[in-house]
Amino acid sequence: MTLLSRKCVPFTPLDRELAKCSVALVTAAGVHRIDQEPFNIADELGDLTFRGIGGEAAVTDLKVTHHHYDHSDADQDINVVFPIDPLRELAQEGVIGQVAREHVGYMGYTMQLRLMYEQTAPAIAEYIDKKAKADVVVLTGG
Amino acid sequence: MRGIPTVLITVSPEVSAQMRPPRAMSPKGFRIGNSLGRPGMAGLQKRVLWDALGMLTAPARPGEVIEFEYPEYGE
Repeated sequence: MTLLSRKCVPFTPLDRELAKCSVALVTAAGVHRIDQEPFNIADELGDLTFRGIGGEAAVTDLKVTHHHYDHSDADQDINVVFPIDPLRELAQEGVIGQVAREHVGYMGYTMQLRLMYEQTAPAIAEYIDKKAKADVVVLTGG
Repeated sequence: MRGIPTVLITVSPEVSAQMRPPRAMSPKGFRIGNSLGRPGMAGLQKRVLWDALGMLTAPARPGEVIEFEYPEYGE
């Protein structure tokens, strides 16, 4: 039997046109800038930290540090897990209003689920609210 | 804090469904590490992202993971 979360689904309606929205990416795929501290893959408990990624970052400035999925394809083309180039195209075409000024990468592997839920996730939401000032978030995994 | 609308792109729909995400789509048959498609498939990556964003304005099905098919991904 599949166990389902008993928490209320946190559904937030979109209150404006997509063409007026700033869109941020939040990925659990372990994406970060190459000049940032890599995620800690040595700790068996995982890594609860996250990295802010500026909206101007070039794909060549980004890499993946994650040891719980095969990221060889993302190493060739980061857009397979962090679709920043297609997001820029959709902004240029007016489908979305703009690419958010900040995005977030974290390593979606942890044995510390309570801390991830109670500390990391709210901290990421705060970052998206205050730093990215995004209207919409697209979430991706590995 | 204000609520922020989200949409999830997942290649592990059974796992993601357990958390009952507010909006979620799953490209059918994409393997882990290929959430938007394969390397260099810019058109496919854009289409997956477009479809995900489209869920923000489509009739809501909170808690469900909606499957999308992209034959160009291949086997």
